[in-house]
Amino acid sequence: MTTSSTDQDVASIDVVLSGILKRFPGVVANHDVDLHLRPGAVHALIGENGAGKSTLMKILYGVQAPDEGTITVDGSPVSFSSPTDAIGQGIGMVFQHFMLADNLTVLENIVLGAEKLHGIGDGARRRIREISARFGFGLEPDDLVERLGVADRQRVEILKVLYRGARLIILDEPTAVLVPQEVDALFANLRELVAGGCSVLFISHKLDEVLEIADDITVMRRGTTVGTADPATATRQGLAELMVGSELPSPETTESTVTDTPVLELRGVTVTNEAGRDVLSDATLTVHRGEVVGIAGVEGNGQSELVEVIMGMLRCSSGSIVLRDQDITRSSTRQVREAGVGFIPEDRHRHGLVLDYPLWENRILGHQTQAPVVRGPLLNQRGARKDAQRIVEEFDVRTPGIDTSARALSGGNQQKFIVGREMSGDPVLLVASHPTRGVDVGAQAAIWDHIRRARRDGLGVLLVSADLDELIGLSDRIEVVLRGRLTATFDPRDVTPMDLGTAMTGGEVA
Amino acid sequence: MRRLATMTVAIATCGFVLTACGTAADDNGDEKAAAPKCETTKIEGDPQVAIAYDVGGRGDQSFNDSAYAGLEKAKGETPTLKTAEGEASQDEDEATREERLRGFADDGFNTIVGVGFAYSESVNKVAPDYPNVAFAVVDGFDPDKDQNCNVAYLTFAENEGSFLVGAAAALQSKTGKLGFVGGVNNALIQKFEAGFKAGAEAAKPGTEVTSTYIEQSDPKGFGDPAGGKSAAEGLYSDGADIVFHAAGGSGSGVFDAAVEADKEAIGVDSDQYKTASAKQREHIITSMLKRVDIATYDFIKSVEGGTPLASYNAFALKDDGVGFSTSGNFLSKDTITKVNAFRDQIIAGDVKVPEKP
Amino acid sequence: MKRLFYAVLPPVVAVLVALVATSAVIVVSGGSATSFISTILSVPDDRVLVNIINQSSMISISAFAAAIGFRMGLFNIGVEGQYIAGTTAAAFFGGSGIVSGPLNILATLVVAMLAGALYASIAGILKVTRGVSEVISAIMLNYIALTMAGYLVQRYGEKSGYTYITPRLPESSQPLGFSVVSGAPDVWALFVVAVAVGVGYWFLLSRTRFGFDLRTTGESPTAALASGIGVGRMVIISMALSGAVAGLVWMPAYFGSVHTFGTPENFQAGLGFTGLAVALLGRNRAIGIAVGSLLFAFLAGQSNELQRDGIAKQVVDITQGVVVLAVVVAYEVVRRRQARAEQEAVAARLDDRPTEGVVS
Repeated sequence: MTTSSTDQDVASIDVVLSGILKRFPGVVANHDVDLHLRPGAVHALIGENGAGKSTLMKILYGVQAPDEGTITVDGSPVSFSSPTDAIGQGIGMVFQHFMLADNLTVLENIVLGAEKLHGIGDGARRRIREISARFGFGLEPDDLVERLGVADRQRVEILKVLYRGARLIILDEPTAVLVPQEVDALFANLRELVAGGCSVLFISHKLDEVLEIADDITVMRRGTTVGTADPATATRQGLAELMVGSELPSPETTESTVTDTPVLELRGVTVTNEAGRDVLSDATLTVHRGEVVGIAGVEGNGQSELVEVIMGMLRCSSGSIVLRDQDITRSSTRQVREAGVGFIPEDRHRHGLVLDYPLWENRILGHQTQAPVVRGPLLNQRGARKDAQRIVEEFDVRTPGIDTSARALSGGNQQKFIVGREMSGDPVLLVASHPTRGVDVGAQAAIWDHIRRARRDGLGVLLVSADLDELIGLSDRIEVVLRGRLTATFDPRDVTPMDLGTAMTGGEVA
Repeated sequence: MRRLATMTVAIATCGFVLTACGTAADDNGDEKAAAPKCETTKIEGDPQVAIAYDVGGRGDQSFNDSAYAGLEKAKGETPTLKTAEGEASQDEDEATREERLRGFADDGFNTIVGVGFAYSESVNKVAPDYPNVAFAVVDGFDPDKDQNCNVAYLTFAENEGSFLVGAAAALQSKTGKLGFVGGVNNALIQKFEAGFKAGAEAAKPGTEVTSTYIEQSDPKGFGDPAGGKSAAEGLYSDGADIVFHAAGGSGSGVFDAAVEADKEAIGVDSDQYKTASAKQREHIITSMLKRVDIATYDFIKSVEGGTPLASYNAFALKDDGVGFSTSGNFLSKDTITKVNAFRDQIIAGDVKVPEKP
Repeated sequence: MKRLFYAVLPPVVAVLVALVATSAVIVVSGGSATSFISTILSVPDDRVLVNIINQSSMISISAFAAAIGFRMGLFNIGVEGQYIAGTTAAAFFGGSGIVSGPLNILATLVVAMLAGALYASIAGILKVTRGVSEVISAIMLNYIALTMAGYLVQRYGEKSGYTYITPRLPESSQPLGFSVVSGAPDVWALFVVAVAVGVGYWFLLSRTRFGFDLRTTGESPTAALASGIGVGRMVIISMALSGAVAGLVWMPAYFGSVHTFGTPENFQAGLGFTGLAVALLGRNRAIGIAVGSLLFAFLAGQSNELQRDGIAKQVVDITQGVVVLAVVVAYEVVRRRQARAEQEAVAARLDDRPTEGVVS
């Protein structure tokens, strides 16, 4: 993409990082990092989880200081001791998890902490309208944030840093929370931004998106920048190999193993929330032995409720849920688990693990009533330890041992441990929410393999995911959930992410 | 399973030990036959006086300070007198109180005064182990039937003193309504209430006295000025124009209420006109005096004299153990004359003051 | 070895810090720090030693009651009220002699636990069904317990001096103590209850499924829910359990020496709050609580001695307070160090490159 200099209304910024080295005790998180962020360009930084992207980001954003190396802004060396310094130099950060107060308006969220710039009244309102109009954000200063969708919230976050004078905007996996249509809108915004003279540092591991939006690409691996690529000539394959140093795995399943035996049957399940609104309406769904049923949907459309009602964490107001031939409509979570349901929760830190427990104690979690981790009312420490060791070995969990606390492991290894645990004891059904979210490519491939293998052995899987490639590659059937209803069914063999995206947002499927 | 079995055995053993190790009932037979007769406690060497204060300690401008004043007076007369002081803290247990007394005794103090009836039990336990130490408990009582020959219980006729201020209040009152605020609703404070009511009735029949207590049993009632204030406010707003308090440290709240309502109040234990703030003292018309200093002083002197006080020693009007103050000249001449007449009648035994309301 | 070092270092440092801080206060207020240090560190005489052991039994039971709540993520500030409730019920029951002889001891302990558990359940049920913070309700309940106890004893008890007490425990139900130090009073028989509670606490939490559920709920209510633990039910059960233990707090003194109950003379209030502090001090670990109870009892036991040296006894409160504060800080420092060391170990295992010189 070219930058038209006539359109420029933001002072451009030129940032160079060279020879960055950052040590944490015993570990080198970044070394020999060189990065040149040209003015008016989208620069993509790609790499596996743990490649050192976050550390580099923190250094650039002033959260941490590098041990060696220099950062120059517009040719003069700078050093940041806090994010305030960074924003003072025109570098702003938009986090993956939004930091907005739902019960405040757009205006209030934006001026919070920046009251000195344009006040908190009409001056600020005017400035926000200005920026919003300039870059096509379409935000109204007085709207309540809780009324806004995910994409709009993201725009509020971007506006927030622009308002503070950012000329380089760091975006950490901004598309992870968006559907394809929203991604397109975001990219349109980004193009406006760079046309206006801003620079964008775009952190992602979705290679197709990177190829679409980036002007420059830098790849990180093992804490260092291993290469740059020109998006005009680079291929997905080539980038992936740079990232992992090997062939990128694909989630595609081979032959169908679907049987006629239902494992899970939902009939007309409706969940009503405290406000009296149906968050899940009349859901009817069957998962068979050996079948993976994918659930596609924009977050907040009822997929969490679907999972929770099956797991007994929510009660349905009508309908029935049958597991094999057992009615589990009114069963507690523990009874559901005892009946043979494995559960990979959406948020592994909050629901999947107790971070301060060692791995062997985490092996007990969710299986408190099942051998081999308990014996009657007592814990079976030896059994739990032995089985935790088994999971570590079979699922390739990289850890010094089973006495290491879950907190110390990387996200991918935590997730592999959870998957291993939930597949213990021969479950008949696996309820998996975003099983590979935030997991590096290696672990992702391993998890997919395990799900596929278990499916071959007759496991039924209910797979909720925001990763459409994963859904298409792994599922035997995809159901779309929209505003609490199952609205469409697709055969993954002949559906594109675009079709799914349309169905997920309520548009007509072409 | 094996673990569980071990546990069961452990619990069973524990139960067995509890039952097997016996109870006090198996162990009695000795030291029960208490001799009813007492010989005078023999003190070895010069008197050395230790005072164990109640919660609040020296500086409470009331009870404890009064005891200290007695000690000071004795020391003034005998400058060589060796003394020591100790103080109770909130929520301390019986053993700690006992330990305080034993510590003094072990350190060679042969004259030990416990200030406050909370020391009754501990003195009762400790005294038999130190037959050559003279103990005294201010406001104390003997909790069991075994007589302790080396313990003096220094009690006061609070009802008599309260009678006098009750009479004074009734004579001074314009509304004919009086109030009483007690710190904690126990028998001791009820003595104040009983005397106050009787005095008011005697001086001016038909005088109405309303009583409230800050706490039913929590000793906090003696250290809760806010509670004292709200109690007194209630009484004032119900029409009382003079409120008498027997609530220790909570009394300052009562005085504050008097200041705010521009009504009058009566102090307790010491002459509170002298210790209250300038604002408050304009509203303290008299105080019921409880001469802990005299009792303490008398006890020390009795030890010096070779025959320590023992058993119950009531300090009544006739001993100047209780009385009323006239600081500030709030009481009219007429009132003082009439109150003094009651005083003489009580001393003469013509008027009997009840102990229970 | 290293683990032991990390476990023992913080409390030792904390005690030293507390002594220094208290000395500083004493010096500032014109006292002598050396006499404070030498007195507080002096070996207590036999009688005081027995008192310390006896006190520590009650403090530790209270701390275990609090710790059950803490491990569950509940701040059971109501231990105070629960042990008053337990004591009141137990003292009326024990004194009535309905059950005679030594069996009365066990029966009375059961009554104490039941009363404590019932009283604690109020806060638990309010929390689960009405969302009332257990802290708020427990503070109110503490106050109600004390007032109710006073009322009941006055209404149904016997007069003793100026106050009222419950009927005295029959002699046939008064256990003899353990004569540990000759010449000193006995260590209370129900010291064994404290030991049993401690062992039971350790076993329950680290060895049983129930304990696992309880700890898990405390560590992560969300993970507990997803793992199938009924969190609401757990709140009520663990509150009741905490209350049952709290009901026992004053029982060693009741059976050991007082044999009756009546506020304030024939009771020791405030143990519930001490227990909370000691549970913090002991990091909710059985051994930590045992040591912490002894330390608190020791400091309190030295206070009379301090007073005779002319040092205000309130300094002991300062020392106790600073110890707790310093321990909390010190353990947090150690925890962070350990977490970092662990992450390094994981990273070192994953890192193919040789790690460079360790920077710390």
